[in-house]
Amino acid sequence: MQQYRAHLMLCGGTGCIASESLKVKEALSAEIKKRGLENEVNVVFTGCNGFCAEGPIMTVYPEGIFYERLTEKDIPFLVEEHLLKGRPVERLMYKEPEKRHAVPAMKDIPFFNLQVLRVLRNKGLIDPEKIEEYIARDGYMGAAKAFTEMTPAEIVTVVKDSGLRGRGGAGFPTGLKWELAGRVSSDTKYMLCNGDEGDPGAFMDRSVMEADPHSVIEGMIIGARAIGANKGVIYVRAEYPLAVQRLNLAIEQAHEAGLLGEDILGTGFNFDLSIYLGAGAFVCGEETALMRSIEGKRGMPIPRPPFPAQKGLWGKPSVLNNVETLAQIAPIILHGSDWYRSLGTEKSSGTKVFALTGAISNVGLVEVPMGIPLRTIINDIGGGVKGARKKGGRTFKAVQMGGPSGGCIPESLLDTPVTYEDIVQTGAIIGSGGMVVMDDSNCMVSMARFFLEFTADESCGKCPPCRIGTKVMLDMLNDITEGNGKESDIETLQDLCGDIISTSLCGLGQTAPNPVLTTIKYFREEYESHIKDKWCKAGVCRSLCTFIVDEKVCTGCGACQRACTQGAVTGEKKKPHEINQELCIQCRACYDACKFGSINIGPAAMREGLLKDTPAVSV
Amino acid sequence: MQKDINILVVDDEPVVINSCERVLREEGYNVHSAMRGKDAIHLMEENIYNLLLTDLKMPEMDGISLIEWTRKSKPSTGIVVITGYPSQQSIQDVLGLGCIDYVPKPFTPVMLTDVTYRALELAKKTPPLEDFPVGDFTPEMALELNSIINNYKNMPGNLIPVLQKAQEIVGYLPPEVQKQISSKLKVPVAEIHSVVSFYSFFTMKQRGKHLIRVCEGTACYVKRVSAVLDKLISELDVKVGEMTTDRKFSLESVRCLGACGLAPVMMIDQSTHGAMTPMKVVEVLDTYKQP
Amino acid sequence: MPKLTIDDLKKIKEQYKATFTLREGGYRAKVTVHMGTCGIAAGARDVMNSLIDEMSEKAITDIIVTTSGCAGLCSKEPMATVEMLNEAPVKYYSLNGEKIKKIFKEHIQAGKIVEEYALVVGSETAY
Repeated sequence: MQQYRAHLMLCGGTGCIASESLKVKEALSAEIKKRGLENEVNVVFTGCNGFCAEGPIMTVYPEGIFYERLTEKDIPFLVEEHLLKGRPVERLMYKEPEKRHAVPAMKDIPFFNLQVLRVLRNKGLIDPEKIEEYIARDGYMGAAKAFTEMTPAEIVTVVKDSGLRGRGGAGFPTGLKWELAGRVSSDTKYMLCNGDEGDPGAFMDRSVMEADPHSVIEGMIIGARAIGANKGVIYVRAEYPLAVQRLNLAIEQAHEAGLLGEDILGTGFNFDLSIYLGAGAFVCGEETALMRSIEGKRGMPIPRPPFPAQKGLWGKPSVLNNVETLAQIAPIILHGSDWYRSLGTEKSSGTKVFALTGAISNVGLVEVPMGIPLRTIINDIGGGVKGARKKGGRTFKAVQMGGPSGGCIPESLLDTPVTYEDIVQTGAIIGSGGMVVMDDSNCMVSMARFFLEFTADESCGKCPPCRIGTKVMLDMLNDITEGNGKESDIETLQDLCGDIISTSLCGLGQTAPNPVLTTIKYFREEYESHIKDKWCKAGVCRSLCTFIVDEKVCTGCGACQRACTQGAVTGEKKKPHEINQELCIQCRACYDACKFGSINIGPAAMREGLLKDTPAVSV
Repeated sequence: MQKDINILVVDDEPVVINSCERVLREEGYNVHSAMRGKDAIHLMEENIYNLLLTDLKMPEMDGISLIEWTRKSKPSTGIVVITGYPSQQSIQDVLGLGCIDYVPKPFTPVMLTDVTYRALELAKKTPPLEDFPVGDFTPEMALELNSIINNYKNMPGNLIPVLQKAQEIVGYLPPEVQKQISSKLKVPVAEIHSVVSFYSFFTMKQRGKHLIRVCEGTACYVKRVSAVLDKLISELDVKVGEMTTDRKFSLESVRCLGACGLAPVMMIDQSTHGAMTPMKVVEVLDTYKQP
Repeated sequence: MPKLTIDDLKKIKEQYKATFTLREGGYRAKVTVHMGTCGIAAGARDVMNSLIDEMSEKAITDIIVTTSGCAGLCSKEPMATVEMLNEAPVKYYSLNGEKIKKIFKEHIQAGKIVEEYALVVGSETAY
């Protein structure tokens, strides 16, 4: 078999492809050929590495040099310098935020070295389109062990003992789910995978399906063996074309290798796996709704019991696990439950992948042991709030966890350990692992409104409290952000929240009020200033703010003037500028453009005052 | 000699229709007529017309709405307005809507044939706005759809995959597509419609050549995707969920494309564009505007 | 691909061992071939090719081969540095395909420095 002296692991995830990594790949192949290195240097197009914001990224082994933001133009130089002459190119390496020096090796970059990779164990290390590379990294060894050395009951016991909980959001113990379905006897059972990642702000499942599709398939095979299922379906969002393509290829390869289909690994066990494309409905993350959707119906939840483990898809016993949960199964079987429990806490064992996004320096996927404080994730791995180190820069306001079902956690609670129980205490949930960081330029009332707009839109309409309640709350929040809020609104909102939580059938309705409740709990003063002072201090709610230039600070650089689309900013170079309130539409472009913090945000009333005071231009 | 040229005359006065029919048939054109806008649309959905001659003031649907519908749905049909009120303003208005010419009432046979001849020449020269029939449910598509349905016929839960394939073929799911699926799969149309309207992936609206999907996920929201969306709306002069008049672009907003690392994100067809700014919108659109 | 048995899984894993040793960083020795302009002109490419061929043939999995720029001693090119884990690097000079094979056999595999080709023991590490 051909051996290479160097491997270039170029990221081919959705993020990097969007940053033109395909062009980089072509340029690399051409240059390597031109230099006659094709028998020495191997280019591997990997799945998502997780550090998407810095893409396209490439790691060069054996040295482990990490390059980022590559373009096709950089390639000839890089190949000559690094691969021919052996001099890594500093210019293209990762630089720590706000510091200038380059960090050559991937293992030295804090974003990577504080992580513990179990789910993402193969990210950037294998070619997701080659089953052999997956096998070389212990792939299908877990399945082999489960099939030849263990009984189904033993598999269930190991998974139960590992303490693994469903990573899709609810955190239900996986082993228990399998045990329930295993006990029911039926001619047909289904092993299902939920890849319908619906949370806005979460993309860990997409990344796993793209970077390591076989790990999901192996998890499903083991699960099928444990519960005695002979049919399986992976439900994937149609919006993830690359994930669908790679899963299809992986299923085909696994079939050919006898790891799917009839008589798997010569054990007489049969398991067929297919892919079902979701058609886009958030509520389909709920298991009964997802099963209705596979049956070709509207994806609406139904009451439980009967639980899917007894009567699920097509009325047969079914188990539905999330992508990230399934990707953990093979290592648990291979290394045992004690190994898995060696990380995390008593009730929340192992690791969890988070999608760290928003106003943060290092945007990307991070996998950490459960129980580490939020602060470590945000400040050390994430590198803190973006632009925080600049003079007059941004400050941290909140981190949103759990998407539309979750809540906002303020600075004062950042030492909370990341476990299912501790995060629930704050009013948020771990959910599927979305972690969106917000800085002081985000308005918490609009944030709550944003999530409610989402749930109101995605409510399937079955339960009136959810369908009508979220709409009523949305109308109230619209009023508040438009300056028509009443003093009693906060209490009314809280009452409505309680009613919706207690009377909805499924998780969507039961958790929809969380964003509102947490923002009221931790940022009540923002609601009050919106309602009483008609003032959105973040400058997001257009009818509740006035933008004015602080003449003492303004340097007259003209940045705001260039940013303004309305021609509302006037002033000579190097002299303080002015905003014409008559023309200003409160879009905040000037505020975002100013590097000196010279634009202040005042209450809405200030604008009226200014309009009255200025000699009327139009009359 | 003009046998293969079809003209549709729309006017609520039978006298006008009669005289137009007489004059134009003598010239050898095929002439159809309608007295109401609704009937005209019905005819245009069945047949292909080279030229539409229409009155402006009619009961129920007026001429302006008919012109707008024709421009959008049958862009290759030339339009000439017959009007009794040829004021400067109204002429400018109808020409602004994309009409080729106008005939003032009352008119002489020569005026009519003259304008018709010139309009047909012009309509020939102006190519249809898109070189393929966006959104038209052609017989070929119907055949393709039938074979797809046959492939899935015995699979349980086949409705959603069939609808996905149908949307891939036709571009959207108009009532006639849903009806065809209904009769073939033996599923009530009401049930099909309930599924189509439930899932955000399905649309009953025509889509342009390129589909722009703007992510409205949390990360994009925090990174002010609203400014990007505003720019797209103003650049393309189109509302969210609508198609541009030249049928080049459809603009839609979606819930999270799962590329949060690149927020704000938009997708045009299958390619993802990350770290968008209002400035970058113009650049990206330019690459799609070139033929 | 024919249907796999558990033994096949293990075999595939073994075959790919070299690849992943490289990617995971668990190697025993590192050979640096100096590939400056002069090195290439003097035949460093042949040295590199022979080395890689030899490794493939012997199915050696825990050695990494890398390149570096000019070693600064152009008259002695082609040159290569062999670094065994926990040992001082050894520079070899005026190499060719045959010589590197001998070095591979005696030094890398058997741990005995080939003194007749060695220029110096010690000196700076390449990277």
